[in-house]
Amino acid sequence: MIRNIMLQHKNGVVIILLTMVCHIFGAGSAASAKGPMDQLQVAVDEIMAILQSDELMGTEQKEKRKQMVLNVVVDMFDFREMARSSLGPSWNDLTAEEQDKFVGLFTSLIEERYIGKIDSYNNQKIIYKKERVKGSMAIIYTAIVDKELEIPIDYKLKEDQGKWLIHDLKIENVSLIANYRREFDGILRKEQFAGLVKKIEEQLEN
Amino acid sequence: MHLLMTKKKRFSPVSIALLFFFFSVIHAWARVDDTVVPSPVAQAEEISVAGASASDAEEDDWIDEDSWDDDWEDGEVIADPLEPLNRLFFHFNDKLYYWVLKPVARVYSGVFPEELQIAVRNFFDNLRAPARAVNCLLQGRVRNSSQEVVRFALNSTVGIIGFGDFARDILGLDSSNEDTGQTLGYYGAGGGFYINWPFLGPSNFRDSIGKVGDAYLHPFIFLDVDWEVTAGAWVLEQVNYTALTLGDYELFTETALDPYAAVKDAYQQYRKGLIENK
Repeated sequence: MIRNIMLQHKNGVVIILLTMVCHIFGAGSAASAKGPMDQLQVAVDEIMAILQSDELMGTEQKEKRKQMVLNVVVDMFDFREMARSSLGPSWNDLTAEEQDKFVGLFTSLIEERYIGKIDSYNNQKIIYKKERVKGSMAIIYTAIVDKELEIPIDYKLKEDQGKWLIHDLKIENVSLIANYRREFDGILRKEQFAGLVKKIEEQLEN
Repeated sequence: MHLLMTKKKRFSPVSIALLFFFFSVIHAWARVDDTVVPSPVAQAEEISVAGASASDAEEDDWIDEDSWDDDWEDGEVIADPLEPLNRLFFHFNDKLYYWVLKPVARVYSGVFPEELQIAVRNFFDNLRAPARAVNCLLQGRVRNSSQEVVRFALNSTVGIIGFGDFARDILGLDSSNEDTGQTLGYYGAGGGFYINWPFLGPSNFRDSIGKVGDAYLHPFIFLDVDWEVTAGAWVLEQVNYTALTLGDYELFTETALDPYAAVKDAYQQYRKGLIENK
Protein backbone atom coordinates (compact mmCIF):
# COMPACT_ATOMS: atom_id res chain seq x y z
CA MET A 1 0.00 0.00 0.00
CA ILE A 2 2.62 2.47 1.12
CA ARG A 3 4.88 1.31 -1.66
CA ASN A 4 2.14 1.97 -4.14
CA ILE A 5 1.67 5.47 -2.89
CA MET A 6 5.40 5.99 -2.99
CA LEU A 7 5.52 4.73 -6.54
CA GLN A 8 2.72 7.00 -7.60
CA HIS A 9 4.46 9.83 -5.91
CA LYS A 10 7.67 8.98 -7.68
CA ASN A 11 5.88 8.93 -11.01
CA GLY A 12 4.39 12.28 -10.20
CA VAL A 13 7.82 13.75 -9.49
CA VAL A 14 9.19 12.37 -12.74
CA ILE A 15 6.32 13.89 -14.67
CA ILE A 16 6.80 17.26 -13.04
CA LEU A 17 10.51 17.14 -13.81
CA LEU A 18 9.84 16.16 -17.40
CA THR A 19 7.37 18.97 -17.79
CA MET A 20 9.89 21.44 -16.43
CA VAL A 21 12.54 20.15 -18.81
CA CYS A 22 10.10 20.49 -21.69
CA HIS A 23 9.32 24.01 -20.65
CA ILE A 24 12.95 25.01 -20.40
CA PHE A 25 14.07 23.45 -23.65
CA GLY A 26 10.83 23.71 -25.56
CA ALA A 27 11.02 26.33 -28.26
CA GLY A 28 8.96 29.33 -27.26
CA SER A 29 5.38 29.10 -26.10
CA ALA A 30 3.19 26.05 -26.56
CA ALA A 31 1.06 27.85 -29.12
CA SER A 32 3.85 28.55 -31.58
CA ALA A 33 5.14 25.00 -31.37
CA LYS A 34 1.80 23.68 -32.60
CA GLY A 35 0.63 23.68 -36.19
CA PRO A 36 -2.61 25.40 -37.23
CA MET A 37 -4.53 22.13 -37.39
CA ASP A 38 -3.52 21.18 -33.83
CA GLN A 39 -4.56 24.60 -32.60
CA LEU A 40 -7.90 24.36 -34.33
CA GLN A 41 -8.47 20.91 -32.96
CA VAL A 42 -7.72 22.02 -29.39
CA ALA A 43 -10.23 24.87 -29.69
CA VAL A 44 -12.90 22.69 -31.28
CA ASP A 45 -12.39 20.02 -28.60
CA GLU A 46 -12.81 22.70 -25.98
CA ILE A 47 -16.13 23.78 -27.53
CA MET A 48 -17.33 20.19 -27.72
CA ALA A 49 -16.41 19.64 -24.07
CA ILE A 50 -18.59 22.63 -23.14
CA LEU A 51 -21.49 21.41 -25.25
CA GLN A 52 -21.27 17.89 -23.85
CA SER A 53 -20.65 18.66 -20.19
CA ASP A 54 -23.45 17.44 -17.94
CA GLU A 55 -23.42 20.57 -15.82
CA LEU A 56 -24.35 22.75 -18.77
CA MET A 57 -27.09 20.57 -20.24
CA GLY A 58 -30.64 21.75 -20.71
CA THR A 59 -32.31 24.81 -22.12
CA GLU A 60 -32.14 26.84 -18.90
CA GLN A 61 -28.34 26.78 -19.20
CA LYS A 62 -28.43 27.89 -22.80
CA GLU A 63 -27.21 31.43 -22.15
CA LYS A 64 -24.35 30.28 -19.96
CA ARG A 65 -23.35 27.66 -22.51
CA LYS A 66 -23.49 30.20 -25.27
CA GLN A 67 -21.26 32.60 -23.37
CA MET A 68 -18.66 29.93 -22.67
CA VAL A 69 -18.58 28.83 -26.30
CA LEU A 70 -18.32 32.45 -27.31
CA ASN A 71 -15.26 32.94 -25.12
CA VAL A 72 -13.47 30.19 -27.03
CA VAL A 73 -14.72 31.30 -30.43
CA VAL A 74 -13.60 34.90 -29.95
CA ASP A 75 -10.00 33.71 -29.65
CA MET A 76 -10.22 31.59 -32.79
CA PHE A 77 -11.24 34.26 -35.29
CA ASP A 78 -9.64 37.46 -36.49
CA PHE A 79 -12.90 39.37 -36.57
CA ARG A 80 -11.34 42.68 -37.53
CA GLU A 81 -9.68 41.17 -40.58
CA MET A 82 -12.87 39.33 -41.50
CA ALA A 83 -14.92 42.50 -41.23
CA ARG A 84 -12.39 44.36 -43.36
CA SER A 85 -12.38 41.82 -46.17
CA SER A 86 -16.15 41.47 -46.08
CA LEU A 87 -16.39 45.15 -46.97
CA GLY A 88 -13.72 45.05 -49.67
CA PRO A 89 -12.37 48.37 -50.90
CA SER A 90 -15.16 50.29 -49.14
CA TRP A 91 -13.37 49.64 -45.83
CA ASN A 92 -10.78 52.29 -46.66
CA ASP A 93 -13.44 54.95 -47.10
CA LEU A 94 -14.53 54.61 -43.48
CA THR A 95 -13.23 56.61 -40.54
CA ALA A 96 -11.47 54.69 -37.75
CA GLU A 97 -14.59 55.11 -35.64
CA GLU A 98 -16.86 53.70 -38.32
CA GLN A 99 -14.47 50.80 -38.82
CA ASP A 100 -14.59 49.91 -35.13
CA LYS A 101 -18.34 50.11 -35.12
CA PHE A 102 -18.59 47.89 -38.16
CA VAL A 103 -16.24 45.29 -36.66
CA GLY A 104 -18.51 45.08 -33.62
CA LEU A 105 -21.65 44.65 -35.69
CA PHE A 106 -20.07 42.16 -38.03
CA THR A 107 -18.78 40.10 -35.10
CA SER A 108 -22.27 39.89 -33.62
CA LEU A 109 -23.69 38.81 -36.96
CA ILE A 110 -21.17 35.97 -37.32
CA GLU A 111 -21.69 34.91 -33.73
CA GLU A 112 -25.41 34.77 -34.29
CA ARG A 113 -25.07 32.59 -37.36
CA TYR A 114 -22.49 30.21 -36.02
CA ILE A 115 -23.28 29.98 -32.35
CA GLY A 116 -26.80 29.03 -33.36
CA LYS A 117 -25.36 26.27 -35.51
CA ILE A 118 -22.83 25.14 -32.91
CA ASP A 119 -25.49 24.84 -30.24
CA SER A 120 -27.35 22.28 -32.33
CA TYR A 121 -24.20 20.14 -32.22
CA ASN A 122 -25.12 16.61 -31.32
CA ASN A 123 -22.07 14.39 -31.23
CA GLN A 124 -21.40 14.62 -34.95
CA LYS A 125 -18.01 13.30 -35.93
CA ILE A 126 -15.43 15.82 -37.05
CA ILE A 127 -12.74 14.70 -39.47
CA TYR A 128 -9.48 16.61 -39.78
CA LYS A 129 -8.36 15.84 -43.29
CA LYS A 130 -5.23 17.84 -44.02
CA GLU A 131 -3.53 21.15 -43.55
CA ARG A 132 -1.51 23.16 -46.01
CA VAL A 133 0.83 25.67 -44.50
CA LYS A 134 3.07 28.19 -46.14
CA GLY A 135 4.76 30.80 -44.04
CA SER A 136 2.08 32.54 -42.05
CA MET A 137 -0.82 31.29 -44.20
CA ALA A 138 -2.66 28.03 -43.89
CA ILE A 139 -5.73 26.20 -45.12
CA ILE A 140 -7.22 23.37 -43.09
CA TYR A 141 -9.59 20.87 -44.64
CA THR A 142 -12.10 19.27 -42.31
CA ALA A 143 -15.52 17.67 -42.56
CA ILE A 144 -18.39 17.10 -40.21
CA VAL A 145 -20.43 13.94 -40.54
CA ASP A 146 -24.05 14.82 -40.03
CA LYS A 147 -26.73 12.17 -40.49
CA GLU A 148 -24.31 9.99 -42.43
CA LEU A 149 -23.43 12.81 -44.83
CA GLU A 150 -20.00 14.34 -44.94
CA ILE A 151 -20.10 18.13 -45.04
CA PRO A 152 -16.76 19.70 -45.95
CA ILE A 153 -15.63 22.69 -43.91
CA ASP A 154 -12.39 24.45 -44.89
CA TYR A 155 -10.68 27.08 -42.77
CA LYS A 156 -8.37 29.80 -43.97
CA LEU A 157 -5.96 30.95 -41.29
CA LYS A 158 -3.16 33.40 -40.77
CA GLU A 159 -0.54 33.33 -38.06
CA ASP A 160 -0.38 36.26 -35.72
CA GLN A 161 2.27 36.19 -33.00
CA GLY A 162 2.36 32.42 -32.77
CA LYS A 163 -1.40 32.07 -32.85
CA TRP A 164 -3.33 30.90 -35.89
CA LEU A 165 -6.47 32.92 -36.42
CA ILE A 166 -9.34 32.04 -38.74
CA HIS A 167 -9.84 34.55 -41.53
CA ASP A 168 -12.56 32.77 -43.44
CA LEU A 169 -14.34 29.45 -43.59
CA LYS A 170 -16.04 27.57 -46.36
CA ILE A 171 -18.94 25.26 -45.75
CA GLU A 172 -19.62 23.09 -48.77
CA ASN A 173 -17.44 25.45 -50.78
CA VAL A 174 -19.41 28.53 -49.83
CA SER A 175 -17.09 31.12 -48.35
CA LEU A 176 -18.58 33.05 -45.49
CA ILE A 177 -16.69 36.25 -46.24
CA ALA A 178 -17.36 36.14 -49.98
CA ASN A 179 -21.04 35.57 -49.29
CA TYR A 180 -21.30 38.52 -46.93
CA ARG A 181 -19.24 40.70 -49.24
CA ARG A 182 -21.61 40.09 -52.14
CA GLU A 183 -24.52 41.01 -49.90
CA PHE A 184 -22.82 44.09 -48.41
CA ASP A 185 -21.81 45.27 -51.88
CA GLY A 186 -25.40 45.37 -53.04
CA ILE A 187 -26.54 47.27 -49.96
CA LEU A 188 -23.62 49.72 -49.99
CA ARG A 189 -24.27 50.63 -53.60
CA LYS A 190 -27.88 51.53 -52.90
CA GLU A 191 -27.87 52.75 -49.31
CA GLN A 192 -24.25 53.56 -48.42
CA PHE A 193 -22.59 52.73 -45.13
CA ALA A 194 -25.34 54.21 -42.96
CA GLY A 195 -27.90 51.96 -44.65
CA LEU A 196 -25.73 48.90 -44.08
CA VAL A 197 -25.27 49.69 -40.40
CA LYS A 198 -29.00 50.17 -40.00
CA LYS A 199 -29.74 46.85 -41.71
CA ILE A 200 -27.31 44.92 -39.51
CA GLU A 201 -28.68 46.55 -36.37
CA GLU A 202 -32.23 45.66 -37.37
CA GLN A 203 -31.18 42.12 -38.13
CA LEU A 204 -29.51 41.71 -34.73
CA GLU A 205 -32.58 42.97 -32.92
CA ASN A 206 -34.82 40.30 -34.38
CA MET B 1 -35.32 12.83 -76.65
CA HIS B 2 -38.90 11.62 -76.94
CA LEU B 3 -37.62 8.43 -78.49
CA LEU B 4 -36.05 7.66 -75.17
CA MET B 5 -39.37 7.96 -73.49
CA THR B 6 -41.57 6.06 -75.90
CA LYS B 7 -39.27 3.16 -76.59
CA LYS B 8 -39.96 0.61 -73.88
CA LYS B 9 -36.86 -1.22 -72.90
CA ARG B 10 -37.04 -4.66 -71.43
CA PHE B 11 -33.92 -5.70 -69.57
CA SER B 12 -33.63 -9.42 -68.97
CA PRO B 13 -31.88 -10.50 -65.76
CA VAL B 14 -29.11 -12.03 -67.86
CA SER B 15 -28.34 -8.81 -69.66
CA ILE B 16 -28.31 -6.91 -66.35
CA ALA B 17 -25.91 -9.48 -64.91
CA LEU B 18 -23.69 -9.16 -67.97
CA LEU B 19 -23.77 -5.40 -67.73
CA PHE B 20 -22.85 -5.56 -64.08
CA PHE B 21 -19.99 -7.92 -64.84
CA PHE B 22 -18.77 -5.64 -67.60
CA PHE B 23 -18.72 -2.62 -65.33
CA SER B 24 -17.06 -4.56 -62.53
CA VAL B 25 -14.24 -5.36 -64.93
CA ILE B 26 -14.00 -1.72 -65.96
CA HIS B 27 -14.05 -0.76 -62.33
CA ALA B 28 -11.20 -3.11 -61.50
CA TRP B 29 -9.26 -1.87 -64.48
CA ALA B 30 -9.87 1.76 -63.68
CA ARG B 31 -8.65 1.17 -60.16
CA VAL B 32 -5.26 0.21 -61.59
CA ASP B 33 -5.18 2.98 -64.11
CA ASP B 34 -6.22 5.60 -61.64
CA THR B 35 -5.88 8.73 -63.68
CA VAL B 36 -8.42 11.48 -63.71
CA VAL B 37 -8.58 13.37 -66.94
CA PRO B 38 -8.43 17.08 -66.17
CA SER B 39 -11.15 19.18 -67.67
CA PRO B 40 -10.38 21.01 -70.92
CA VAL B 41 -10.50 24.27 -69.01
CA ALA B 42 -8.06 23.01 -66.40
CA GLN B 43 -5.80 21.70 -69.13
CA ALA B 44 -5.73 25.06 -70.82
CA GLU B 45 -4.85 26.69 -67.52
CA GLU B 46 -2.14 24.16 -66.94
CA ILE B 47 -0.54 24.94 -70.26
CA SER B 48 -0.53 28.63 -69.52
CA VAL B 49 1.43 28.14 -66.29
CA ALA B 50 3.52 25.25 -67.56
CA GLY B 51 6.51 27.53 -67.95
CA ALA B 52 6.95 27.81 -64.19
CA SER B 53 8.40 25.01 -62.08
CA ALA B 54 5.95 22.32 -63.05
CA SER B 55 6.75 19.55 -60.60
CA ASP B 56 6.76 21.39 -57.32
CA ALA B 57 4.24 23.97 -58.44
CA GLU B 58 1.50 21.96 -56.81
CA GLU B 59 2.96 21.45 -53.40
CA ASP B 60 5.01 24.54 -52.75
CA ASP B 61 3.63 27.38 -54.80
CA TRP B 62 0.00 26.70 -54.13
CA ILE B 63 -0.22 29.58 -51.78
CA ASP B 64 0.83 33.14 -52.25
CA GLU B 65 -0.80 36.29 -51.04
CA ASP B 66 -2.89 36.64 -54.20
CA SER B 67 -4.16 33.11 -54.68
CA TRP B 68 -4.87 32.85 -51.00
CA ASP B 69 -7.29 35.71 -51.37
CA ASP B 70 -8.57 35.15 -54.91
CA ASP B 71 -9.33 31.48 -54.60
CA TRP B 72 -11.57 32.13 -51.71
CA GLU B 73 -13.17 35.43 -52.22
CA ASP B 74 -13.38 36.49 -55.82
CA GLY B 75 -16.28 34.83 -57.49
CA GLU B 76 -17.78 36.10 -60.69
CA VAL B 77 -20.85 38.24 -60.34
CA ILE B 78 -23.80 36.27 -61.62
CA ALA B 79 -26.04 38.04 -64.12
CA ASP B 80 -29.58 38.45 -62.90
CA PRO B 81 -31.76 40.03 -65.56
CA LEU B 82 -34.84 38.35 -64.11
CA GLU B 83 -34.27 39.74 -60.63
CA PRO B 84 -37.79 41.10 -59.99
CA LEU B 85 -39.36 37.82 -61.05
CA ASN B 86 -36.70 35.80 -59.22
CA ARG B 87 -37.33 37.76 -56.05
CA LEU B 88 -41.04 37.12 -56.38
CA PHE B 89 -40.44 33.39 -56.65
CA PHE B 90 -37.93 33.52 -53.82
CA HIS B 91 -40.59 35.09 -51.67
CA PHE B 92 -43.06 32.47 -52.81
CA ASN B 93 -40.68 29.61 -51.96
CA ASP B 94 -39.91 31.21 -48.62
CA LYS B 95 -43.60 31.30 -47.73
CA LEU B 96 -44.03 27.79 -49.06
CA TYR B 97 -41.27 26.68 -46.70
CA TYR B 98 -42.68 28.34 -43.59
CA TRP B 99 -46.36 27.70 -44.23
CA VAL B 100 -46.36 24.27 -45.81
CA LEU B 101 -43.07 22.42 -46.02
CA LYS B 102 -41.80 23.09 -42.51
CA PRO B 103 -45.01 22.21 -40.62
CA VAL B 104 -45.40 19.04 -42.68
CA ALA B 105 -41.75 18.10 -42.19
CA ARG B 106 -42.07 18.59 -38.44
CA VAL B 107 -44.98 16.21 -38.21
CA TYR B 108 -43.16 13.83 -40.53
CA SER B 109 -40.01 13.82 -38.42
CA GLY B 110 -42.11 13.33 -35.29
CA VAL B 111 -43.63 10.19 -36.79
CA PHE B 112 -40.65 8.66 -38.59
CA PRO B 113 -37.34 8.15 -36.79
CA GLU B 114 -34.14 9.61 -38.18
CA GLU B 115 -32.85 6.20 -39.32
CA LEU B 116 -35.86 5.85 -41.57
CA GLN B 117 -35.43 9.38 -42.92
CA ILE B 118 -31.84 8.56 -43.83
CA ALA B 119 -33.02 5.36 -45.52
CA VAL B 120 -35.56 7.34 -47.56
CA ARG B 121 -32.85 9.81 -48.55
CA ASN B 122 -30.64 6.90 -49.61
CA PHE B 123 -33.48 5.50 -51.70
CA PHE B 124 -33.90 8.72 -53.68
CA ASP B 125 -30.18 9.21 -53.90
CA ASN B 126 -29.78 5.73 -55.34
CA LEU B 127 -32.21 6.60 -58.14
CA ARG B 128 -29.79 9.30 -59.27
CA ALA B 129 -26.91 6.86 -59.61
CA PRO B 130 -27.49 6.33 -63.37
CA ALA B 131 -27.28 10.09 -63.95
CA ARG B 132 -24.12 10.26 -61.85
CA ALA B 133 -22.56 7.31 -63.68
CA VAL B 134 -23.22 8.82 -67.10
CA ASN B 135 -21.96 12.25 -66.07
CA CYS B 136 -18.80 10.86 -64.47
CA LEU B 137 -18.12 9.06 -67.73
CA LEU B 138 -18.77 12.20 -69.78
CA GLN B 139 -16.20 13.99 -67.63
CA GLY B 140 -13.62 11.27 -68.20
CA ARG B 141 -13.86 9.90 -64.68
CA VAL B 142 -14.00 6.25 -65.65
CA ARG B 143 -13.32 4.94 -62.19
CA ASN B 144 -15.97 7.08 -60.50
CA SER B 145 -18.42 6.09 -63.21
CA SER B 146 -17.90 2.37 -62.78
CA GLN B 147 -18.04 2.89 -59.03
CA GLU B 148 -21.49 4.44 -59.44
CA VAL B 149 -22.64 1.48 -61.50
CA VAL B 150 -21.38 -0.96 -58.91
CA ARG B 151 -23.01 1.12 -56.18
CA PHE B 152 -26.31 1.17 -58.05
CA ALA B 153 -26.25 -2.57 -58.67
CA LEU B 154 -25.34 -3.43 -55.09
CA ASN B 155 -27.51 -0.90 -53.29
CA SER B 156 -30.55 -1.69 -55.45
CA THR B 157 -30.25 -5.37 -54.54
CA VAL B 158 -28.29 -6.12 -51.37
CA GLY B 159 -29.04 -2.61 -50.10
CA ILE B 160 -32.79 -3.31 -50.39
CA ILE B 161 -33.82 -1.11 -53.33
CA GLY B 162 -31.51 1.62 -52.20
CA PHE B 163 -32.69 2.13 -48.62
CA GLY B 164 -29.33 1.06 -47.31
CA ASP B 165 -25.95 2.21 -48.53
CA PHE B 166 -24.34 -1.22 -48.53
CA ALA B 167 -21.70 -0.20 -51.07
CA ARG B 168 -20.44 2.63 -48.88
CA ASP B 169 -20.80 1.04 -45.47
CA ILE B 170 -19.34 -2.34 -46.28
CA LEU B 171 -17.13 -1.80 -49.31
CA GLY B 172 -16.17 1.83 -48.78
CA LEU B 173 -17.39 2.83 -52.25
CA ASP B 174 -18.30 6.49 -52.00
CA SER B 175 -20.72 8.25 -54.26
CA SER B 176 -19.51 11.09 -56.45
CA ASN B 177 -21.70 14.12 -56.73
CA GLU B 178 -21.97 14.70 -60.48
CA ASP B 179 -24.85 15.88 -62.65
CA THR B 180 -25.48 17.12 -66.16
CA GLY B 181 -25.11 20.78 -65.18
CA GLN B 182 -21.63 20.02 -63.88
CA THR B 183 -20.75 18.16 -67.07
CA LEU B 184 -21.74 21.21 -69.10
CA GLY B 185 -19.60 23.33 -66.77
CA TYR B 186 -16.71 20.89 -67.16
CA TYR B 187 -16.76 21.51 -70.89
CA GLY B 188 -16.57 25.23 -70.30
CA ALA B 189 -20.22 26.29 -70.26
CA GLY B 190 -20.72 29.27 -67.97
CA GLY B 191 -23.66 29.36 -65.62
CA GLY B 192 -25.57 31.97 -67.59
CA PHE B 193 -28.11 34.06 -65.76
CA TYR B 194 -29.60 33.26 -62.40
CA ILE B 195 -33.01 31.65 -62.18
CA ASN B 196 -34.93 31.15 -58.97
CA TRP B 197 -37.58 28.62 -59.90
CA PRO B 198 -40.83 28.39 -58.00
CA PHE B 199 -40.82 25.10 -56.00
CA LEU B 200 -37.37 24.11 -57.30
CA GLY B 201 -35.36 27.00 -55.87
CA PRO B 202 -32.05 28.50 -56.98
CA SER B 203 -30.56 27.55 -60.33
CA ASN B 204 -29.11 29.14 -63.42
CA PHE B 205 -29.52 28.73 -67.15
CA ARG B 206 -26.91 25.99 -67.51
CA ASP B 207 -28.05 23.98 -64.51
CA SER B 208 -31.70 24.24 -65.55
CA ILE B 209 -30.80 22.57 -68.83
CA GLY B 210 -28.74 20.13 -66.81
CA LYS B 211 -31.81 19.25 -64.77
CA VAL B 212 -33.61 18.18 -67.94
CA GLY B 213 -30.68 15.93 -68.77
CA ASP B 214 -30.72 14.49 -65.27
CA ALA B 215 -34.45 13.86 -65.53
CA TYR B 216 -33.97 11.74 -68.66
CA LEU B 217 -31.38 9.68 -66.80
CA HIS B 218 -33.75 9.10 -63.87
CA PRO B 219 -35.25 5.59 -63.64
CA PHE B 220 -38.73 7.04 -63.09
CA ILE B 221 -38.57 8.69 -66.48
CA PHE B 222 -36.92 5.98 -68.52
CA LEU B 223 -39.14 3.34 -66.94
CA ASP B 224 -42.06 5.61 -67.80
CA VAL B 225 -43.57 5.70 -64.32
CA ASP B 226 -46.91 7.54 -64.04
CA TRP B 227 -46.39 11.24 -63.57
CA GLU B 228 -48.60 11.25 -60.47
CA VAL B 229 -46.27 8.74 -58.86
CA THR B 230 -43.25 10.75 -59.94
CA ALA B 231 -44.73 13.95 -58.53
CA GLY B 232 -45.71 12.21 -55.30
CA ALA B 233 -42.23 10.78 -54.93
CA TRP B 234 -40.75 14.22 -55.52
CA VAL B 235 -42.92 15.74 -52.79
CA LEU B 236 -41.96 12.95 -50.39
CA GLU B 237 -38.31 13.54 -51.16
CA GLN B 238 -38.65 17.27 -50.42
CA VAL B 239 -40.45 16.65 -47.14
CA ASN B 240 -37.89 14.05 -46.13
CA TYR B 241 -35.01 16.35 -47.00
CA THR B 242 -36.58 19.21 -45.06
CA ALA B 243 -37.09 16.96 -42.05
CA LEU B 244 -33.40 16.06 -42.10
CA THR B 245 -32.24 19.66 -42.38
CA LEU B 246 -34.79 21.49 -40.22
CA GLY B 247 -33.37 24.77 -39.00
CA ASP B 248 -30.61 25.16 -41.58
CA TYR B 249 -32.65 27.33 -43.92
CA GLU B 250 -33.84 29.55 -41.07
CA LEU B 251 -30.36 30.04 -39.66
CA PHE B 252 -28.91 30.99 -43.03
CA THR B 253 -31.65 33.35 -44.14
CA GLU B 254 -32.18 34.94 -40.73
CA THR B 255 -28.53 35.92 -40.42
CA ALA B 256 -28.44 37.33 -43.92
CA LEU B 257 -29.25 40.97 -44.57
CA ASP B 258 -30.65 40.23 -48.00
CA PRO B 259 -31.55 36.53 -47.99
CA TYR B 260 -32.22 36.52 -51.72
CA ALA B 261 -28.74 37.84 -52.52
CA ALA B 262 -27.15 35.52 -49.97
CA VAL B 263 -28.82 32.44 -51.45
CA LYS B 264 -27.97 33.54 -54.97
CA ASP B 265 -24.29 33.90 -54.15
CA ALA B 266 -24.17 30.71 -52.07
CA TYR B 267 -25.66 28.79 -55.00
CA GLN B 268 -23.03 30.18 -57.36
CA GLN B 269 -20.15 29.32 -55.01
CA TYR B 270 -21.54 25.89 -54.25
CA ARG B 271 -21.89 24.93 -57.90
CA LYS B 272 -18.46 26.31 -58.75
CA GLY B 273 -16.97 24.11 -56.05
CA LEU B 274 -18.77 21.05 -57.39
CA ILE B 275 -17.69 21.67 -60.97
CA GLU B 276 -14.07 22.12 -59.92
CA ASN B 277 -14.43 19.04 -57.70
CA LYS B 278 -12.77 20.72 -54.80
